[in-house]
Amino acid sequence: MSRAERHRLSSLHDVELASLAASGDRQAFGELVRRHGSAVRALLRRMGMSAAEADDLAQDAFISAFESIAEFRGEGAFGGWVKKIAARACMRRIQKDRQLRARLETADLQETVEPSDPGRRMDLDEALKGLGDAERLCVSLCYGAGLSHAEAAEALNLPLGTVKSHVKRGLDKLKARLAPEGEAMEGRRGNG
Amino acid sequence: MAEMEVERTIERLFARAPECPDADLFAERVQKRLDRGWAARRVLIGAAGLVGGVIGASQLIMSNLFSRAEAASTESARVLTSGVRQLAPQAEWLLNGPAGIEAIWLVAGLAVVAMGLVLTRIIEEI
Repeated sequence: MSRAERHRLSSLHDVELASLAASGDRQAFGELVRRHGSAVRALLRRMGMSAAEADDLAQDAFISAFESIAEFRGEGAFGGWVKKIAARACMRRIQKDRQLRARLETADLQETVEPSDPGRRMDLDEALKGLGDAERLCVSLCYGAGLSHAEAAEALNLPLGTVKSHVKRGLDKLKARLAPEGEAMEGRRGNG
Repeated sequence: MAEMEVERTIERLFARAPECPDADLFAERVQKRLDRGWAARRVLIGAAGLVGGVIGASQLIMSNLFSRAEAASTESARVLTSGVRQLAPQAEWLLNGPAGIEAIWLVAGLAVVAMGLVLTRIIEEI
């Protein structure tokens, strides 16, 4: 691709690129991958996939997105749409993993929330490591991929109540671990 | 932090994904896969078209279609001419005119094309 062509594509909005991709322009779709690839890969890693698995799944998700690009009408963000495709692909892979599946269904609901070291400011990736598999998946699906609780329950093939419990406990743990960041944010807002 | 504030903060943190250093490489890999799939699809469609064309052509030759079509055409022209003469003797001038029966065939052909276009439009609208 020439530099001028790349410059032209990089100046277009996601919806315009998606429209070009829908008419078969694979370079326009490549620009969308360039823009949103990192976010999709990060989401899959946050859902518990290894770096290699996340890259494979992200590639598959983008290929699926290209094949069904006509369904993207620009009502929501393109990034959110691809993330949902990737999250669902990830769920299908997890459904095949019996060990992980068993952990999702029998996650210990009495597990306590460990308070974080108040002096240490943690980032999200670090904080997510403190969550169980089920909690991490549910929180990532709902807050990373933008699925509703009901959609997450359907994707995970779990009862809605179970998903809500995982999300609640996951949020409590994240709240405890991210408290310093939250306070810092509030402090910055108060000072500014 | 209030519950809503926690949720908003976590959503913001999820949205703040770090840019991967190999983002361009990843995009290239996806594009290569798309190109491979596209090329394979074109080869498949081409091969299917070729096979279909060969089968169709062999069927046409084996069914002796051309001589049958020629016979049917001659016969239908005769029937049409006699039909027009019976139904509209006043149209005699048309059949005997400079264009004659060819004009009727031409009009009929154009009508069929127009019908086809209308039908295509209707299907598109549906």
